[in-house]
Amino acid sequence: MGETLRLNLWQHGIFLLVLFLVLAPLSFLVLGSFSTARLPGDFSLATMGLVNYIKVYADGGMLDLLSNTIIYVAGSAALGIVMAVVLAWLVERTNMPGKIFLYAGVPTTLAMPGMLQAMAWVLLFSPRIGFVNAWMKDIFGPGAPVIDVYTLEGMIFLEGLRLVPTAFLMLVPLMRSMDPSLEEAAAVSGARPVSTLRKVTLKLLAPALVAVMIYQAMTALEVFEIPGILGLPAGIYVFSTKIYAIVRTATFMPVYGQANALAMVYVFIAIATTILYTRMIGRAERYTIVTGKGYRPRQLDLGKWRIPAFIAALLFLFFSIALPFLVFLYASFLPYLQAPSAKAFQTMTLKNYRLLAEYGEVGSALKNTFLMVVTTATATVVLSFLVSLVVVRSKFWGRKLLDQLAFVPHAIPGIVMGIAFFWVFLKLDFLPLYGTIWAISIGFTISFLSYGTRSMNAALLQIHKELEEAAYVSGAPPWRTMWRIFVPLMMPTFVGVWIWVVLHAVRIAGMPLILSEGPGNQVLAILIWNMWDEGYVPAVAAIGTLLMITLLLLTLAVRVVGFRRHAVQMVSG
Amino acid sequence: MIRIEDLHVRYQTERGEVYAVRGIDLDVKQGQFFTLLGPSGCGKTTTLRSVAGLEKPYQGEILVGDQLVLSCRRKLLVPPYKRDIGMVFQSYAIWPHMNVFENVAFPLRERKRSLPEGEIRARVRKVLSLVQLDGLEDRPAPFLSGGQQQRLALARALVKEPRVLLLDEPLSNLDAKLREETRIEMRELVKRLGITTLYVTHDQLEALTMSDVVAVMEGGRIVQQGTPLEIYSAPQNRFVASFIGLSNFLEGRVKTLGRPGAVETPSGIVQCVLPDGVAAGDEVVVVIRPEDVTLNNGAAGANENVLEGKIEAIVFMGDALECQVAVGAKQIRLKLHPSSGVTKGSSVRLKLPAASCRAVRA
Repeated sequence: MGETLRLNLWQHGIFLLVLFLVLAPLSFLVLGSFSTARLPGDFSLATMGLVNYIKVYADGGMLDLLSNTIIYVAGSAALGIVMAVVLAWLVERTNMPGKIFLYAGVPTTLAMPGMLQAMAWVLLFSPRIGFVNAWMKDIFGPGAPVIDVYTLEGMIFLEGLRLVPTAFLMLVPLMRSMDPSLEEAAAVSGARPVSTLRKVTLKLLAPALVAVMIYQAMTALEVFEIPGILGLPAGIYVFSTKIYAIVRTATFMPVYGQANALAMVYVFIAIATTILYTRMIGRAERYTIVTGKGYRPRQLDLGKWRIPAFIAALLFLFFSIALPFLVFLYASFLPYLQAPSAKAFQTMTLKNYRLLAEYGEVGSALKNTFLMVVTTATATVVLSFLVSLVVVRSKFWGRKLLDQLAFVPHAIPGIVMGIAFFWVFLKLDFLPLYGTIWAISIGFTISFLSYGTRSMNAALLQIHKELEEAAYVSGAPPWRTMWRIFVPLMMPTFVGVWIWVVLHAVRIAGMPLILSEGPGNQVLAILIWNMWDEGYVPAVAAIGTLLMITLLLLTLAVRVVGFRRHAVQMVSG
Repeated sequence: MIRIEDLHVRYQTERGEVYAVRGIDLDVKQGQFFTLLGPSGCGKTTTLRSVAGLEKPYQGEILVGDQLVLSCRRKLLVPPYKRDIGMVFQSYAIWPHMNVFENVAFPLRERKRSLPEGEIRARVRKVLSLVQLDGLEDRPAPFLSGGQQQRLALARALVKEPRVLLLDEPLSNLDAKLREETRIEMRELVKRLGITTLYVTHDQLEALTMSDVVAVMEGGRIVQQGTPLEIYSAPQNRFVASFIGLSNFLEGRVKTLGRPGAVETPSGIVQCVLPDGVAAGDEVVVVIRPEDVTLNNGAAGANENVLEGKIEAIVFMGDALECQVAVGAKQIRLKLHPSSGVTKGSSVRLKLPAASCRAVRA
């Protein structure tokens, strides 16, 4: 009975910890939105009111903000999903050559930091310094048309590109597992290939497509880096950048309460999606039972369109990975920014890389980033594993609630999470965390908890219950079973989640921008952001080039681990 | 060796409470091969898992050897890792991240008092040769065939020499041919070791060929318990008769008591063995196996029932002809030798020996 009690204690411990980590920032976010004091430090329950809401939502710019956000979110989600559907269809359902490049390349685009991609496109298409625009002026004279990336269209195009890999990864298994006889039946009934595609294939995929689209729209709504780099300089605001602008504008005193009031939009979305998600999961589990049949879908013969299709697909990879990388690599060798020309290549120098080594802030930012990323990844893995163990394997009364709690932060963007934690660390000042990298670490851990627990849940479900029970009847108590059965079987998932967190924590700028307080807790993403802001473009290019190379190598590591994980799942299933 | 008293188990599911086991008593003697037999959902696996400590019953007591492992009255529930048991799971539950040796050594390494490495090695060798897996020590567990996995699971269950062996449908994942061979091998092995075995299966052939005692379960209760021969030849109710082997059923009322007694059925008066304690006029069902029904050529002898009917269908089964004979509104199945030379549509007289006709309560 003593063991039952101990088991109960640690289950309650995990539950309370997650409850606190998720609800504390959210409560402060809500409370703060009613605070009429200007700064979180002056917050008191006596000075509460609706002033912030009136100020924010009755503002004249609100209509613009709303329409910008809707156009940006809908546009990028639609663009992203169309590209993803075409790519997934090409690799799964046609005889296009060179599919292996896409299977390997499309997921790799996830490694590219959005901030750096946006900067690369600025270097190409900024009206003032853009290389392409400079060439056009050289060729056509001063009256040449200017392509401006600091626009809603620019944001939509770039965010659309960034949404492709996730949607692609979601769609490929769907296309693969679709019963080909459904399409064959249409063909036998006299439908031509195009109308089969339209009336059967796409209709069958429709529910899944809607789900992917909602997911993508949420991602676009939360992303800060793309609208931050492309929209802020031109004064084009969407929700995430508006919140940032309220608290981090140099010209005005920041008004935290107003940012909170605006962020309530995200809190409502978070709660709504959590409820929706819980319902869908309830239903999804009933469907998963029927999967597992190995179909070999019919492949459409593209005929003379095989090569053009392949080139179009490669173009996506070029725009997503190769072009930004080449632009950065080129700029990193320049003494000062100029469009590529014979003269520019002659002046190339290693000066920027030398400067990085000498510049003290780079060293401390690297150290901070390393510490922050490693603790975040480790904490996420450990916490997610323990949470999933309770959710999937125990009969703890609150396991469903715990699962939902862990999912809630998923729909809260980094900027909002940053503001919420800003309040927590300022008001709960017995925790000496404000202005440290640990503050950023804790914030990220909670943000990634949703991804971590989803992966761990899935992996734990793959481990047959009897593997665990066999250890008990062999004489192993629960903690020995965890150590000798669960941990080794879960190791590939641990490594996979760990690297995924590293990949994301190292490049997300949103939350660190809010929680950053001087060089003491400055991380790489912030250093790049600040240097870009101050115009040190070649230096940014040098750091960015190194960062891209590191991230691409890490992604390669994930893929290797991924293959191993697949092998283990095959034998344990 | 295993004693279960008044065991009750219920589950909490999405659709409310499910009573999986509702009051089971059984007593497995030292060295006995005891089988729980029943259709899926009858509570047999839940009973076995309760003995292992993997379920949390809400009422009852379980003794394994002289260790009281469950007593709901005294709020005692010994966890599985403190029970003197070995268990083979339906999926075999071979740990895929360990090789054959480490899988078998696991229970020894988890003992309270640790064993020297040399003894672990020796004991694993011994038990592996017992199940004929010698030489495969270093083989990664996933690279074993189904039959090898099953034997590995058995070795792992036996290695710490538990007093009780629990087997949860250990043959259901093998193909038919292998299952047949393994049945006999397995029984011989546990008999040789003298280990008390509790075996769960839904396969009547396994239960009949392997067991010393069979308990047939339905709806969370034991409906009949006895030797395989008793269960087969003297089913005590309609469920047992229909679940084990093929049976013909003739519904009727008791006419006269005695040995044999007589039952009035729509097909005529049938002399049969009556269950204890029935009175004239009680509703009963007369059960007779197809192989006990023969064709009658001469006059009916004493203690024989003769029914007249017409052959409706003949199915050639290889070793037998299975005939369906319409007797009044009732169909009676019988098995004949392939050379019987009966034809469809012909009228026949069926002989049902009174000793093979058993009435059970309806």
